[in-house]
Amino acid sequence: MKKLLVYLKGYRKECVLAPAFKMLEALFELFIPLVVASIIDNGIGKNDSNHVIKMCLIMVALGAIGLTCTLFAQYFSARAACGFSAKVRHSLFAHITSLSYTEIDTLGTSSLINRMTNDTNQVQTGINLTLRLFMRSPVIVFGALIMAIVVDPSFKVSGIFIITILLLSLVVFGIMLITIPLYKKVQARLDTTLLSTRENLSGVRVIRAFSLESKEKSKFHQKTSALNKAQILVGRISALMNPLTFVIVNLSICFLIHKGALQVDKGNLTQGQVIALYNYMSQILIELVKLANLIITITKALASAKRIEDVFEIKSSHEIEDFKSEQKNDYAVEFKNVTLKYKGAGEPSLENIDFSVSKGETVGIIGGTGSGKSSLVNMISRFYDAESGEVIVNGRDVKSYDFDTLREKIGVVPQKAVLFKGTIRENMKWGDQNATDEEIIKAIETAQAKDVLLSKEGGLDHQIEEGGKNLSGGQRQRFTIARALVGKPEILILDDSSSALDYATDAKLRKAIANLDYTPTVFIVSQRTASIAHADKIIVLDDGKIVGIGKHNELLESCDVYSEIYNSQFKKEGM
Amino acid sequence: MKKKSTILTVLGYLKRYWFLIIVSLAFACASVLLSLYIPIIVGDGIDLIIDTGMVDFEALLPLITNIGIIALIVALLQWLMNLINNRITYNVTKDIRNRAFDKIHNLPLSYIDSNPSGAIVNKIISDVDQFAEGLLMGFTQFFSGIVTIIATLIIMLMLSWKIALVVILLTPLSLFVASFISKSTYSLFKKQSESKAEGTAIINEVIGNLKVVKAFSREDKELERFDKANDKLERVSRKAIFFSSLVNPCTRFVNSLVYAGVALVGALLVIKAGGGVDGALTVGVLSVFLSYATQYAKPFNEISGVITELQNSLACAKRVFDFTNEKEEESDLDNAELVIDDGDIKLSHVSFSYTDDKKLIEDLNLKVESGMHVAIVGPTGCGKTTLINLLMRFYDVKSGEIWVDNQNIKEITRHSLRSSYGMVLQDTWLQNGTVRQNIALGKPNATENEIIEAAKASHAHSFIKRLPNGYDTVISDENSSLSQGQRQLLCIARIMLALPPMLILDEATSSIDTRTEIKIQKAFSTLMQGRTSFIVAHRLSTIKEADLILVMKDGNIIEMGNHEELLIQNGFYATLYNSQFEPSEELL
Repeated sequence: MKKLLVYLKGYRKECVLAPAFKMLEALFELFIPLVVASIIDNGIGKNDSNHVIKMCLIMVALGAIGLTCTLFAQYFSARAACGFSAKVRHSLFAHITSLSYTEIDTLGTSSLINRMTNDTNQVQTGINLTLRLFMRSPVIVFGALIMAIVVDPSFKVSGIFIITILLLSLVVFGIMLITIPLYKKVQARLDTTLLSTRENLSGVRVIRAFSLESKEKSKFHQKTSALNKAQILVGRISALMNPLTFVIVNLSICFLIHKGALQVDKGNLTQGQVIALYNYMSQILIELVKLANLIITITKALASAKRIEDVFEIKSSHEIEDFKSEQKNDYAVEFKNVTLKYKGAGEPSLENIDFSVSKGETVGIIGGTGSGKSSLVNMISRFYDAESGEVIVNGRDVKSYDFDTLREKIGVVPQKAVLFKGTIRENMKWGDQNATDEEIIKAIETAQAKDVLLSKEGGLDHQIEEGGKNLSGGQRQRFTIARALVGKPEILILDDSSSALDYATDAKLRKAIANLDYTPTVFIVSQRTASIAHADKIIVLDDGKIVGIGKHNELLESCDVYSEIYNSQFKKEGM
Repeated sequence: MKKKSTILTVLGYLKRYWFLIIVSLAFACASVLLSLYIPIIVGDGIDLIIDTGMVDFEALLPLITNIGIIALIVALLQWLMNLINNRITYNVTKDIRNRAFDKIHNLPLSYIDSNPSGAIVNKIISDVDQFAEGLLMGFTQFFSGIVTIIATLIIMLMLSWKIALVVILLTPLSLFVASFISKSTYSLFKKQSESKAEGTAIINEVIGNLKVVKAFSREDKELERFDKANDKLERVSRKAIFFSSLVNPCTRFVNSLVYAGVALVGALLVIKAGGGVDGALTVGVLSVFLSYATQYAKPFNEISGVITELQNSLACAKRVFDFTNEKEEESDLDNAELVIDDGDIKLSHVSFSYTDDKKLIEDLNLKVESGMHVAIVGPTGCGKTTLINLLMRFYDVKSGEIWVDNQNIKEITRHSLRSSYGMVLQDTWLQNGTVRQNIALGKPNATENEIIEAAKASHAHSFIKRLPNGYDTVISDENSSLSQGQRQLLCIARIMLALPPMLILDEATSSIDTRTEIKIQKAFSTLMQGRTSFIVAHRLSTIKEADLILVMKDGNIIEMGNHEELLIQNGFYATLYNSQFEPSEELL
């Protein structure tokens, strides 16, 4: 939580004023029993109707002042809490987008999204309530105690207050301490029922195919029974809260009346003062229960704050190194003995990768799943850093580029074809902010998506929904290719990006890219030999290692893995 | 489902607990009444403490003892009531949740396929929880609230109708204020949730696709876009939170008006009565009124909250009951068991569609003889799974019949039909459990030896051995370190162990590496020997070797025959075949 408090900095004034006003309100509330005592002792006792009227007006006035104070307090706390969470969200968004692929992989997007939404809301509520209530409850509890002592400085009656407060705190916080871990257990059991529900839905066909329905049902029933047991256990303990506090307060009232009566008899206290003490007792009970609820909210908020802080603590592992020297040569991309090991992985994903690609060449990369094809191209854009070795773009180590310069040179068409909310034009401009409509349409044409564009109402102004949901997979894929082409990149990377295209379109696309009026260096990652067979250079990967580099015909002769892949796709086995 | 019938269903679930509910309500009544009695005794006590030397200890002590005893009784009643309520709530939750879960397995697959599983999970988990806690806890609160209001009202009227009138007239003010504020904040909250949704949409889009955003260096631009939504959310929620937080202070202020009114009228009445004259208003009674004035308003303030909660939980209940009332698959308990002779399958005049407006399969006739291998071919999304759905009777045909060994599949039990097929889908599914349990899914009493043999036959044994705990390694569907290919091998091992007479296989596409693919292929061929098999085929070798090829497009079977016949037809299959394999010819 400490680190997040920085974001309250701009709201210092609000953070002081909100609790201060709340405290004022509490103080005014504490005066009410004294006013009542005065009505009884001075008004009724002395038959003074005017005094009664005056005191009642004071009560209304106290209420009105209290209301005004609270309005200020609520206003300031709402301002601080909302401002705080907006700042946290802003920084979190900026921070998350600054992380490198490695960190994104370890955290997982769904957990990141959760932290940005649910957790910040939770913290916002926590801050709001803390500012509003955390000062109020202690002020009322201890204020009531002090007022009791003021009424009865001899401690003969007010002493009961100390014992009562101790006992009540013991019960309220004791029960909370016992139940919080138990509630966690309940939550854990609820999670297992959730998991098995999800599992059964996703596996409904297999379960039915094996006729396992009744077995799954009884397994689930066991889980709900376990949940039920945990719930009833924790319920049994928290069910004690209200009755115990009720007994404690009422027994205290018994003592209070008895001791009070003795003091009145001796002339140390008045009747009105006994009533005042009685009223203070009730106030304490109400506030302690509120405090307990507040603490539950705060615990939740603290847990959320911790999760948010965890994200802030992760720093991007990619630092930009000093630019040393540039080698002048005709290579667009060079890999020098590169090894890549993902964080937490036992084995390296790429090992001793060594090759160079001249400017304007087309390179095909092929291999089985998990052979490291995508890892390899991801290193060109420096999405991942090498464990050892160097990746060099245009004669310069990628680590010495600032990210914008490097990524401007490279047009990536990722495996997952996503577009973003906005018009087609806005999406296309991702490649180049200043692209003209003409350039955009040309790129779309190259990407074989002209027919899609024509079929969409509004053309370039056609609205695309989040993630590009309103387009088919193939349409999306072609637009993502166009998006990369708009930037006229020096290096174009197609990461398995024709998987949703049929073979004919795929072939046309390759032809169009070859005929561009500029000659980018092209990397094509694919599972299909057909997509890469024409390349100037084919790199065959197997299990993270290069097992062959060369042209199609050469590799068919020399590379077993390549011919195996090729045969599995084109030839009938055993023929 | 209408509100009334929702309530009736709720009552149905509660029927078993009628006795406990009556006890709970009785305890609630008793504890409310007794706890309202305490201030009266306190008031009586205060009247005995008048001034120096004027304290009647003899009368006071029994009163004090009474307070203590009543407090203990109230506490005991409250505790028992809480225990009973917990029990009812949690048991009803369990009952409904079990019922809803069981429903999953009694529903036709069409329901599960057409409803997002997240929504169903939500119903079974959070809706059930919210319903039970909101409705049952809310109901007791509501009930005690009403009892408190009525009892307080009667007692106040009995003690002094004049002061009672002050309370009765002023209290509705707080209700009025509360409803006024919540009405006017409603639109603010709507705006808040709208801008929240806007922000969340951007978060989902950008963080969900962060890699793309980074590839185009769009971090700053996207942050700008998010900031716009974020600032708007800040403004809107500041207002919403501020205005909604006014409810409490405002009602509190109204309550303090009531309090002051009671004090004023009460004190003046006591003065008028001359203080302590028999039968007239005393200071003690005034103190009773003062504590009632606060208590009386409390349930009013709570009830408006409770009512929203009750409505909310009724809405949850409705969603849950709508789910449990969905039409189930027709029971087939009276049907005969399927008797497999040699596994020939006949489809005659089969028509099927998922929705009425889009026709899919029409008048399909097909005869698959025992041991035949049928390849299903077509572009992605052409409806290959539809045929599997019909064969396994996951869906029922709209018209026509499917016969297995001359038994109409509508006239036999689903269990016997489904267990005659071995099914391996590309979409593998593993259950949370050990590798051994997963293999033995279809044959729970299999011996260790049989399991290992099946794993060996499906080429899974060698990788299982290398897992941290071998066959005892715990795996699950959601997160497991197994690769897609390994998962598929495990699913094949399942079938290898159960050895059903007919097969439905979905071949691996390119997402599996070549080596594993070859292993899977070998496992498939072992499995298929002598068995009637349907294969959703991607590999040319499988297609060419098949006895019959079904070519599907847009859900329809458009061509049928073996490889040579179809090439001669020179239809869609021929185009597909040529477009797929032309480039290689070009190269060679």
